[in-house]
Amino acid sequence: MNIRPRPIALKSLTAKVILLWHGCCISHAMKYSLISLLVSGISLWGGNQQPLLEPTEFNVNSKYTVESIELSREIETRISHGLRQDIERLIGEKLNPAALNDLSRRIRSELHVRDVTQKVLRGNVPDHVKVVLDVAGRKNEWDLSVPKIVYHSTQGLSGAVEGTAILGSNRITAGLVSDGDDLAERYTGIRARYENRRVGSDRVRFRFNFASYHEQWNSSTLSALGKDASVPGIYRTRQDFSPEATILLAKPLTLSFGADFQSFDTQFPASRTQSANAAITTLRYERRIEGWGADQQELEASYSLRAATKALNSDFAYTRHRWQARYSITRGKHTVSDEALAGLIIGQAPLFERFTLGNSTLLRGWNKYDLDPLGGSRVVHNSVDYRYSMVDVFYDTGAIWDPGQDAVVRHSVGVGIRKGSFMVAMAFPIKGGRASPILMVGMNY
Amino acid sequence: MQQVTRRWWLMASFGAPFTLGLSASALRVRLDGDDLRVAAPQFRFLTGMPLEKLKDGATVVFLTQLSISTEVNGPAIKRAVDRFVVSYDLWEEKFSVMENGADRARVSHLSSTAAEAWCLDHLAVGIGGLAPDKPFWVRLELRAEDARDQAGVLDGTGINLTRLIEIFSNPARAQQMRSEQVAGPMRLSDLKKESRSARSG
Repeated sequence: MNIRPRPIALKSLTAKVILLWHGCCISHAMKYSLISLLVSGISLWGGNQQPLLEPTEFNVNSKYTVESIELSREIETRISHGLRQDIERLIGEKLNPAALNDLSRRIRSELHVRDVTQKVLRGNVPDHVKVVLDVAGRKNEWDLSVPKIVYHSTQGLSGAVEGTAILGSNRITAGLVSDGDDLAERYTGIRARYENRRVGSDRVRFRFNFASYHEQWNSSTLSALGKDASVPGIYRTRQDFSPEATILLAKPLTLSFGADFQSFDTQFPASRTQSANAAITTLRYERRIEGWGADQQELEASYSLRAATKALNSDFAYTRHRWQARYSITRGKHTVSDEALAGLIIGQAPLFERFTLGNSTLLRGWNKYDLDPLGGSRVVHNSVDYRYSMVDVFYDTGAIWDPGQDAVVRHSVGVGIRKGSFMVAMAFPIKGGRASPILMVGMNY
Repeated sequence: MQQVTRRWWLMASFGAPFTLGLSASALRVRLDGDDLRVAAPQFRFLTGMPLEKLKDGATVVFLTQLSISTEVNGPAIKRAVDRFVVSYDLWEEKFSVMENGADRARVSHLSSTAAEAWCLDHLAVGIGGLAPDKPFWVRLELRAEDARDQAGVLDGTGINLTRLIEIFSNPARAQQMRSEQVAGPMRLSDLKKESRSARSG
């Protein structure tokens, strides 16, 4: 029996979302801004749809047979099984430039690279050719990127922009950031990074991060801080120096280790500079499992540890553990993913180390300042996403607490439209009484 | 009679390549019935990056515009645009060209100079309405097609002339190979005389 996915009418879905919003007693101004954001988001997506050109060009080499297709190491190791099979299918056939262009486009899409070069060379046998595919990239180049930009209806706009100079295996990055999403604080400032992606071998990388931020605090955080003496105070500025090395232990497994030196100017009870210097390590596992047919599964898991100690001249002594795992399976236009997170802080850690829930990625729909304006030292969270084509629905659940408090599990649901890295979503907290939905629009969040 | 000095020879030796270079880049314009056609034996465009791409087995598309204006940098009063798809046979080491215009002509087994000449030979701009004694300039423009300009260039019936004219009305992109040759001022009456003498000669 053929089971076909039931098509989802985008118009009716959007209408339902707007009706739901209306039902939730949102002010008219916000309602109209939501509608315009949804419309502009859809138009933005629509505007990017370029019509595909018909393969009208003729290539005199189309009369030759493809003897082999050589892939660069970067392509060979990273493309999906399905794509590799499609590449292999061209061998033994007449050269088809349109099919090669299509493969290059798919490689670009899978590897997230700017361009893929094609070279057709004479084969070893007369009237045969060989094709060489490689990722285009000059030894030295300049790149401007937006690692994150998101508008959150309760937290405002958060974003970062970075410029990277690539000089062989070296990358020098500098950028600006203003983020009120990740932490209990809004940090605004500059970030710089030096990275060597090949220290003697492809298996070893080195990176040095520097950041300097100015902090802003929510009034909820400030009032909560006055009632809880166990949490260290707020700070006006923060500087971060972090050298880190990464070693590829085995193909899916990497180990990073280094140190993180953070210094910050506290305001209360007295103005002074404090430091939180920690040894850091992360063990990461990433694997793409490809089944026969169109199935594609991805598994990512990581454990990271930050241990601040007096031995590193730190004013704080604590350990921060974070476990994260993500699994996703894609079949055709359907993708289901599950992401779990757990965190634990032992000892007294400064505010920027504390976990938060209720932002644009964790327990979406809740306001982090309502949940825990100071963040928590214990956290568990799970998120299930189902995506069909560009429609995304999700269910988040999680709890955040401190020792001596009860862990209250909270839930939220949401719906969004995702196209590439762009997403517009609305999330609803599941709770008694009036539930105010939260709108999120942005890229790479 | 003016004496030929050593200084004169020196100036002539330095000046000759420059003068020759200028004359070499000039377009040769001829009348062919009611059309103007051009030839430019020294005008090479199958070189550099386009040639590299061709030798990597790719096709390279060239857009051309032949226009007539009554001022040296004035607006075109007559123009003809065309699109040529060039590819290079990796085993035979010869070029093939296909014209996308009305003729949809195709040719293969050409050397690079012959392929270039074939493209120019297929360019013709009508002279209807041009006064016989009014001076005019002929301009040949050629660009390698940029992928970002491809949209709308081809439609079901062939090339979209309006779209091509629009492309030529915009400046070329930084990385885009482009070339331009201008000839003039000239008069239609002079070209007719030349044409008659060439036929009788």
